Amino acid sequence: MSDAPSPWKSFQAKKEAYLAYARPWEKKVGSFLTFRPEAPSSAGSGPSGARPLEGLPFGVKDNIAVRDFPLTCGSKMLADLVSPYDATVVARAKAAGASVIGKTNLDEFGMGSSTENSALGKTSNPWDQSRVAGGSSGGSAAAVAAGLVPFAFGTDTGGSVRQPAGFCGVYGFKPTYGVLSRYGLTAYASSLETPGILAKDLGLVKTVFDAVKGRDPHDQTSLDPESQPVRPVKTIAVLADLADLDPGVKAVYEQTLVHLKALGYTLVPVTLPTLEYAVPAYYTIATAEASANLARFNGIRYGHRPVYAENPEHLVRQSRTAGFGNEVKTRIMLGTYVLRSGFQDQFYTKAQKVRTLISNDLQKVFDQADLLLTPTFPVPAFVHGDKTMTEFQQKLADKFTVTANLAGVPALSFPAGLAGGLPVGMQFTAPAFCEARLFEAAAAFATRVPVADCPGTSLDWSK
Amino acid sequence: MDIGELETTAALAQIDLGEGDLARLGDAVSQMLAYFEKMNALDTEGLQPTTHALVKDNRVRPDIVEPSALADDLVDRAPEREDRFFVIPNVL
Repeated sequence: MSDAPSPWKSFQAKKEAYLAYARPWEKKVGSFLTFRPEAPSSAGSGPSGARPLEGLPFGVKDNIAVRDFPLTCGSKMLADLVSPYDATVVARAKAAGASVIGKTNLDEFGMGSSTENSALGKTSNPWDQSRVAGGSSGGSAAAVAAGLVPFAFGTDTGGSVRQPAGFCGVYGFKPTYGVLSRYGLTAYASSLETPGILAKDLGLVKTVFDAVKGRDPHDQTSLDPESQPVRPVKTIAVLADLADLDPGVKAVYEQTLVHLKALGYTLVPVTLPTLEYAVPAYYTIATAEASANLARFNGIRYGHRPVYAENPEHLVRQSRTAGFGNEVKTRIMLGTYVLRSGFQDQFYTKAQKVRTLISNDLQKVFDQADLLLTPTFPVPAFVHGDKTMTEFQQKLADKFTVTANLAGVPALSFPAGLAGGLPVGMQFTAPAFCEARLFEAAAAFATRVPVADCPGTSLDWSK
Repeated sequence: MDIGELETTAALAQIDLGEGDLARLGDAVSQMLAYFEKMNALDTEGLQPTTHALVKDNRVRPDIVEPSALADDLVDRAPEREDRFFVIPNVL
């Protein structure tokens, strides 16, 4: 795999040319909520040998803390908050020589699949600006696809890195739960979420991962990657009963199978009987955790607050009622309901047991094959405000991505081809700590289907 | 979910629901809850619930004081402050 792509190393030296390229492009795409490419590098200092990301700019989803940048989470609630510290993944990327140039747009608090739930900005797909970039890390995916940054961080709670990566034709990587520290992430669903990495260059995804991974004293759920025996990927599990795919996604999926066979992989048909229960289990757990995590937003110390209130309770209610958007309120309500006394066993405990079943199911798949292949999302990028893709249908469509979060295992969405001029992502899922298998198979696939550049994207400024 | 249940849940979540919200959020929440019921088709008898996929044990650290330079920065970011106190809106 290649090292970091060299054109970006001249970013600081060619800034005028970069700005002339980036400003008009960003105006069309709207990937950033805060965009400060003109600022001097914020990279850390240290021996150059330990700086694999030297000179590279990067973007950070606006629910991850970056010192002296806003941390809005795409919400009116936090529109005025500026972070006093760096998330661990950001601090480590800076120490490796990279520099933050902006905070990217997202669905409010990471809740959505289109970035249309952002209260603070509109992000469009660089491939077709009448369409969404996906979500919730839509800004990060759009910025990478448009060539505005070589890589960006997102967060992945149920597919929020992989799905927008698929929509925008870039790699979207969700590591094993815990291998990337969550310190500095605004908590949504703590047992499911992890930072993730988006880039157009697979080698760079791996370089960034290696630079920022590992246990962090600030996150007691963080883990050092367990070393796994390295052996070549030979077998790939495929679902025997794939239904409800958009025709374009189906065509790319079938082409992907042809390419993988041609590369010498053995395809093993499997079933995941619990797949259809993954989405209800996921949303039960995610909303329950969200209702607890978002209870901290009460307008007392930080966040949206009314000018006055009749009593302390009124103050809190006014802050939350005006500060949160509709989707966030829906999820808080759901989570509050499933945790209410009398309902907990029926919903929350049940979902956690289903989670156990899903992990067991996945383990059976990995007893038979090295990787699991599925589409990332059943449809390609949909148009802004599409009424055929309601909030509810967007949730149902998370079925291929949420499984990895429930089981804590790593997964990678890779650009697999185009359907009607739009990129389509496929996804590899691997056993815990077997990230190397994802990179190996995706690199092999790219020798047959190179990553396509989005029209309008260029690195000419770097020359 | 009926209106009463919805209002009780909203009160616990500390969110005020207006007329429009009651109808819209009520529909969205009810639709998802009905969907959650799907899980009842699965037999989970005897299974342990998974709270975290990979973290199995509690982790502890030595109980020692470590310096942090964040406190001043955190107070500086208060929407309104007086000395080292957060000022909250008037509550009358």
